[in-house]
Amino acid sequence: MNIYIVIPTFNEERHIKNVLKDVAKHKLPIIVVNDGSVDKTSQVLSKLKVKSEKLMVLTHRVNLGKGAAMKTGAEAAFSRGADAVIFMDSDGQHKASDLPKFIKALESGKYGIIFGSRVLTHGVPLVRFLGNKFASILISVLFGIYVSDLICGYRAITRNSYEKIKWESSGYAVETEMAIKTAKYGIKYCEVPVETVYLDNVKGVTILDAINILTNVIAWRIKI
Amino acid sequence: MILGLQLIAILFSLSLIYLALLNYRRKEIDKSEFVSWTAIWSLTIFVVIFPEILRSFAQRFFITRLFDMLVVGGFVLVIFMVARIYVKIRKMENKFEEYVRKDALKDEKKK
Repeated sequence: MNIYIVIPTFNEERHIKNVLKDVAKHKLPIIVVNDGSVDKTSQVLSKLKVKSEKLMVLTHRVNLGKGAAMKTGAEAAFSRGADAVIFMDSDGQHKASDLPKFIKALESGKYGIIFGSRVLTHGVPLVRFLGNKFASILISVLFGIYVSDLICGYRAITRNSYEKIKWESSGYAVETEMAIKTAKYGIKYCEVPVETVYLDNVKGVTILDAINILTNVIAWRIKI
Repeated sequence: MILGLQLIAILFSLSLIYLALLNYRRKEIDKSEFVSWTAIWSLTIFVVIFPEILRSFAQRFFITRLFDMLVVGGFVLVIFMVARIYVKIRKMENKFEEYVRKDALKDEKKK
């Protein structure tokens, strides 16, 4: 099975090098989408690209958001013949050592989407834990799909499933939209446990993003 | 006699006519848009000076006070404009996103 790793990134000059080093051990093709970074992420990526043939860097000239970057990465991968892609965050939260779990689930051929689930009881800030659980229950009630870690960016999708659920969200609402559309199109899914490390308190989903996601959920309930 | 509130409304309308004129001179709006905005604000000034002409219209909708009708009308207008602007911004956002994403993919193909 031809699997690509897609990593959307925005202003991650501190972590991106280590993340890519970690992922490169698995010898899979990697697509990094630099989503309009204004720090030295571009320079770091240019240096790494020279060293690695397996690394492809795509650049958004302006910051569009995580969802848009994931879409660009997925389309580039599928146009190069990928059968599936695995999305990872670029801030070092996700460990490449969990990749085999996704690969195994994809290669079983049973699932169209594989959601990574962080162990939310360890090391996750309480507010995030409660917010995440509330979102999971809300989506379960409204759309009939329960994903224990709704906003975890570590997930995999096959080409067929991608064609069905092509998301519209350009920001952090993408993960929720993927779950909702998984339910809508009846795509088989599973969850795999992943380790997570919180390195940066400022980044990630903020309260404003959460409000935006909630507004989108209401809109999707009406539309989908 | 013109009341203070009417005076404010007239001054506001006049300044918006002036703004439309400035936009037209800077070629930010075309002639038809300038004429439309001038007509809308001139009509507003006329209604503000002679509010009684709306009385029969208000009675047809069972609105007893003229002021209530103007408030309701204002709300309807604002909601309509916000909805229209929202749709336009959404369209622009989608086009912009598509352009940036295609540009990123095109760049990679060139290499």
